[in-house]
Amino acid sequence: MITTSSRRRFLRVAGQAAGLVGIASAPLLAAEAAASPRKRKWGMVIDLDRCTGCQGCAVACRAENNIPVAGPTNTEKGRSIFWMNLLTTSEGEYPGLRQQFIPTPCNHCEDPPCTKACPVGATTQSEEGITQQVPERCIGCRLCEVSCPYTRRYFNWSEAEWPESLREQLNPDVAVRPHGVIEKCLFCHHRIRAAKDRARAEGRALTDADVRRLPACAQSCPAEAIVFGDLNDPESAVSREVESPRAFRLLEDVGTRPKVFYLREAKWQE
Amino acid sequence: MAGVVDATRAASTEDEASLLRHLPLEGRGFWLSVLLLASGAAALFYGFLMQVLYGHAVTGQGSHGAIWGIIVANIVNFIGVSHVGIAISAVVRLLRLERYRQLARLAEFITLAAITTAVMNIGMDVGRPERFIVNTLWYGRYHAPFVWSCTVITTYVVGSSVYLYLAMRRDLWLCETKVPSRRWMYRMMALGYRDTPASRARHTRIVWWLAVIILPIMVSVHSVYGYIFGLQAGRPGWYNPFQAPYFVLGAIVSGFATVIMALAVLRKAFHWEEFFPIRIFKGLGVFLGFVTLLYMYFLFSEYLTGTYASPEAERVVFRDVLFGRFRLITWSAMLGGMLFPFALLFIQGVNRRICSIPLTVTAALLINIGLWTIRTVVVVPTFYHPLLPWEVAPYVPALSEWCIVIGSFFFFALLLLVLVKVFPVLEFPEVHESDEEIRGQRMPFWKMLSIGGSAVTGIALIATGIANRTQPEFFHPPVIWLSGIVMLLSVPFQICVLPERPLTRLIRARLAAPRKIFLRRTLTENYLVSAPRPIRAPMMRGSILGTRKR
Repeated sequence: MITTSSRRRFLRVAGQAAGLVGIASAPLLAAEAAASPRKRKWGMVIDLDRCTGCQGCAVACRAENNIPVAGPTNTEKGRSIFWMNLLTTSEGEYPGLRQQFIPTPCNHCEDPPCTKACPVGATTQSEEGITQQVPERCIGCRLCEVSCPYTRRYFNWSEAEWPESLREQLNPDVAVRPHGVIEKCLFCHHRIRAAKDRARAEGRALTDADVRRLPACAQSCPAEAIVFGDLNDPESAVSREVESPRAFRLLEDVGTRPKVFYLREAKWQE
Repeated sequence: MAGVVDATRAASTEDEASLLRHLPLEGRGFWLSVLLLASGAAALFYGFLMQVLYGHAVTGQGSHGAIWGIIVANIVNFIGVSHVGIAISAVVRLLRLERYRQLARLAEFITLAAITTAVMNIGMDVGRPERFIVNTLWYGRYHAPFVWSCTVITTYVVGSSVYLYLAMRRDLWLCETKVPSRRWMYRMMALGYRDTPASRARHTRIVWWLAVIILPIMVSVHSVYGYIFGLQAGRPGWYNPFQAPYFVLGAIVSGFATVIMALAVLRKAFHWEEFFPIRIFKGLGVFLGFVTLLYMYFLFSEYLTGTYASPEAERVVFRDVLFGRFRLITWSAMLGGMLFPFALLFIQGVNRRICSIPLTVTAALLINIGLWTIRTVVVVPTFYHPLLPWEVAPYVPALSEWCIVIGSFFFFALLLLVLVKVFPVLEFPEVHESDEEIRGQRMPFWKMLSIGGSAVTGIALIATGIANRTQPEFFHPPVIWLSGIVMLLSVPFQICVLPERPLTRLIRARLAAPRKIFLRRTLTENYLVSAPRPIRAPMMRGSILGTRKR
């Protein structure tokens, strides 16, 4: 008899709890559904024809993301960190020399080799397609760095340092990474979060205009060569530019399907 | 019990004393070598300390440079060396190679020492040593080769420890009476062994099955190291389905070379000439020569594929290895570290009159150096040729890396020396030959329950871990499946170690025995006095077996 009553009580409590959870979660789910009608897929298009090779993007990225100053010795040893870097290629000899600059953030591949290789889940793909990195989890085995065909991941070979004059400009929105872990471009995901918060506060959805120049590199590009946006949104600037016949991605035969697209540079007759 | 002791005492001869000749901690040579090895091993920790204090910037590596350096080559080398100990031991047991029987345990010690060194090297190479093991176990992703490696290494270490222990248990028990000064230690380690024919037969049978199980595990350990390199599609020079068998073969080569060297040194130091006649070296040398030849064939095949008509990215790397900036390293390793020692071993193998230990050891040393060098040429060159045309900083191994690499060899030798000094290396001959047919009485129910329960729990845990592999943040699958593997590997241990008496009798005996520990001790003393007790006997120089009448 005792068992019956306690079971009944248990069932009643459980039923009430389930009902409460259902009622409480319904509006949340509805809000979620209203806020994001489809999954976003962040991508970037870099127009090489517009790029002047000024390296503004690389400098802005360093400032925005608290990237440490490596110093001459470490730079010489290839240990300086660039979330955004300029890949420079040159063709020909001096008079006919032709140089090309390719700004290279992380490609945020759709099928990234780095997240597969990471043993501890320190690097994973976010729901919106950003290949993210958790420094607190990272063990510093550098398997992701080794597996990246683009060499877009950087190990912290020593403790982060800045000259005294630069300490004041550190960004409070981005944590400084300790030594011994990997770091990489995150598509300025703190800025994406801030933009989402702003849109929510204003009671509207995030628009393409909000994010088109959102990352520090895109914002700082004087030639407006870098465009950021949602590749799943057919109306977005990136989606339209990706359709261009000039569009290509780096090392497509590796099969990583990057979400950073480039628009081929035209050959100018002079 | 007393009868058994009498029997072993009767069987004890002069050569049983020589079986334990290596145990006493005395002699100038021993302490000098401890001093030398310990100071060498200190270099390992000095290099590590430098990396901890100043970051990995003290190494020669860099992100746009060699991301991995010679420490990774060293890891591959020691994993490889660890590979072969159990291989020798298992093959000796499975194929009944009686001539090499006394080599088995030394080879197993080499396994344990090498794998410890290798894991320490991994810990020293990662950027965050303090969380590397914990995070890999707790947050491990099933799709990462590093997690596979953690799994197979754990399986290998646990499995080979159980194997080593069970194969050694009878000798530990014998040492209890033969080495009075360490009686307490060997008694503790023998875990109540009883030298009955049934028990011997059980140990033999279980160890044979363990040998069968351990061989594939051992192949998996080094295959996984091959996969760590071979699955990197973005790394020309590495991406290769051939990598796993290639690494396994390399492991066999360098492992055999190390066993030959260690055996030669210990044989000289402890005067083991009668247990390891010269023809053992000849046999090992022939095998080493054969696998070296096979390795050269693999190398040729790889280099031909790499340079002939392969994609440009591959070709650039292999050209660099063979004819570019690595050419001196590669060719000296291939000619001086493989072809020349192979020639030495070949000449010794085909000529019946040549049978020389110095020659075999020289060849083994050269092969070890050659293989180590070839491994650096596997690891490093790909970093000079990333797929995108980045500028690459040249890699020069720094002091801390050399400290870690060279210190590892000293540390390995020190560990080996400790193991040799603590445990009996040579097997005691068994008195009874026809143990094979004897089977003990039926297992008591409680023991069967414990063994069956462990087996079922182990399999269930492994299955749970694998089934929940996609929710690593919630289930922590590597911990689950590793505990399952450990549980499963405890089964052979339990079969041998748990007593054969029914539980009721065990409990009754425990209840009947006096509770107080000191009372138990007096009882033991009585018993030991009644059985002649060789304790605190005058030591004879050069032997701790001084109690026996000569």
